[in-house]
Amino acid sequence: MFLEDIGASIQIAFTYFTIIYITGLGGLFSERSGIVNIGLEGMMIIGTVTGSFGTMYFTTELGWGIPLGPIMGLLFGMVCGLLFASIHAVATITFRVDHIVSGVVINLVAIGLARFLSAIWFGQATQSPPGQPKLSPLDLPLLSDLPWGLGRAFQQLSPMVLVAFLLLIPVWYSLNRSRWGLRLRSCGENPEATRSLGVSVSIYRYQGVLISGALAGLAGAFLAIEESQFWREGQTQGLGFIALAALILSNWNPVRLLWAAFLFGFAQAIPLRLDDFFLFSWLPPQFIRMIPYVVTIVAIAGFVGKVRPPAAAGRAYEGGGGTL
Amino acid sequence: MAAPGATVPAARIRERPRWLEPLLVQAGALLLALLISLALGAVIIVWYGESPILVYSTILKFAFRDATSFGTVLSIATPLIFSALAVAVCFKAGLFNIGVEGQFLVGLVTATWAALHLDFLPGATLAIAVLVFAMLGGMIWAAIPAVLKVKTGAHEVVTTIMLNGIAVSFLAWALNGPLKFTETEGAFNVDLRSDRFADNALIPNIGELFGMKDSADFSLLFFLALIAAVLVWFLFKRMRLGYEARAVGSSPGSAQAGGISIGAVQIKLFLISGALAGLIGMQQLLVDKGALVQNYEAQLGFIGIGVAFLGQNNPIGIIFAAIFWSVLSRGESGLQIDTEVPREFVIILQGIFIMTVVIVYQVARRWAARRQLAREGQIEEMEDSAASVDVEGLAREDI
Repeated sequence: MFLEDIGASIQIAFTYFTIIYITGLGGLFSERSGIVNIGLEGMMIIGTVTGSFGTMYFTTELGWGIPLGPIMGLLFGMVCGLLFASIHAVATITFRVDHIVSGVVINLVAIGLARFLSAIWFGQATQSPPGQPKLSPLDLPLLSDLPWGLGRAFQQLSPMVLVAFLLLIPVWYSLNRSRWGLRLRSCGENPEATRSLGVSVSIYRYQGVLISGALAGLAGAFLAIEESQFWREGQTQGLGFIALAALILSNWNPVRLLWAAFLFGFAQAIPLRLDDFFLFSWLPPQFIRMIPYVVTIVAIAGFVGKVRPPAAAGRAYEGGGGTL
Repeated sequence: MAAPGATVPAARIRERPRWLEPLLVQAGALLLALLISLALGAVIIVWYGESPILVYSTILKFAFRDATSFGTVLSIATPLIFSALAVAVCFKAGLFNIGVEGQFLVGLVTATWAALHLDFLPGATLAIAVLVFAMLGGMIWAAIPAVLKVKTGAHEVVTTIMLNGIAVSFLAWALNGPLKFTETEGAFNVDLRSDRFADNALIPNIGELFGMKDSADFSLLFFLALIAAVLVWFLFKRMRLGYEARAVGSSPGSAQAGGISIGAVQIKLFLISGALAGLIGMQQLLVDKGALVQNYEAQLGFIGIGVAFLGQNNPIGIIFAAIFWSVLSRGESGLQIDTEVPREFVIILQGIFIMTVVIVYQVARRWAARRQLAREGQIEEMEDSAASVDVEGLAREDI
């Protein structure tokens, strides 16, 4: 039935939304602090492989049937994403390497590092043993009882989906209502002025990049643990770049990022569930996968609305406060 | 980045010729980066319980032990040369084409289409037509970000990232649809691929002439890559477009004031870059595989960015950088056989190396600029006969 398919695809969209949204928030912190981060994909890849390892390593149960593995996996992926992002931070902030060059290298290194770690941990370079445990899924009260199959959208959701939605509150508050957020944003808009107020630009940019690594790593771990229940090479399928696209489309705003991430998440779900719906049946699934990229190109070219990145993003900050 | 040089008086104090200075800085930086990354790699190897000397010598041995080995190195280097040249062409004008990957994938699709549908062409003309179509595919894909940049100001980094994503899906669609194989080879045919190409669409393997086995996959394409490098060198040293590109790259404002149409230069460079990018896939398509396969070798466009950086965007430097990179890649299979270290170690080493090179170059450039500035300070000092100026302090403040 059609409405049931809609419900089911929204349910899938929530999963992809979570990945895109958390990664996009990561990019948000980095870019609002002035460091362009196209290494999100790579940081996510590190999150997938380390997340899967964390899940495999901790096999005990916490009681009440909650396995420890997935929780540790998510945390481990987050920590490793953060550590991996520190390379980008050191290169771009301390050594003032071009942000794009460093990001490209980050993505390249991530692929190799993931294979290397996988070879050590799982005995093969391309995947981990499948069928790893995941967090017990939950049905949202009330919403999951919606009629006509629409309730499907809110059944069997990963708890992390809720976490992703709730992340908006601390993110929005810290960025827009705290002193820390004001300083972080001003580092991305006008580092010279920020410096003149006695704020260390480098320290805020380090924080921005490290947060972005942690969030991208968390999203990667979520992808490996909750969506696939194992790690496999090429699992991210460019979702890091889609997160970047969502970030651009949202104009670096966490609330609008929510919508962009859901839109792109839904686009990911169409080929999986709605492919025989009349609107999409004549379109090959590969063309539907192009939607996020096409939408972003249209937006960046200024055909709809106006895209305005943080003013100083991508520019090396030459003033004092660095270590060189 | 580099401080503007004081031309005439500078020659008075400097003992070394002007051209030698940056070359020495570069060579020194490269050597330093190599040592640092070998040391970092050694830490990983020791942690793994192997001897760094054994691992590094295995890598070298596998690249140079006989003609076939070295031929393999050169055929691995071939696509990387095209890729790095594609990056370098844009980079000279300050354009960052990270869409080389996408342009290479689209080139794969158009070349495969030509190889399958233009098979009425006689003899080697088919192979040439396939190469032309590969270049056209890359050019079309490169034209999009170029036109968007010139017409709407959309930043090429963002548009090319997005176009890379589109190209991946485009190739997947082509391989599942119009280019999917029609003839099956019994039960063995489980992998998705295109039909096999006619023999005259392929680029002949000429390894035999150099005493290599066929497995080296050494073909005329390597020489085509060398020719491409020479052409790019010629473009930038001897042609008007190359001069304009460098002008746009170093100072767009004065280039425009000098009557150069920035947009036209950018579009032309993007098209050249796309044509080169289209050729990246030809080694695997026309020499290694003879068909478009599903598990094609990806990431070559991104590796090209690293190789271009390693070769400092200099066509000749790029050739050596690509060969160096390929020596490491070739060493992978050696690690598998002779050591306990997983073969993926090589990718880590390459990653460490490229990151170290990027950082060391950056530091060296700053150091050179600071020296330059200090020198200018000295010159002014001499000219003004000022007694004491804290040159170092002045330089530090200004950088």
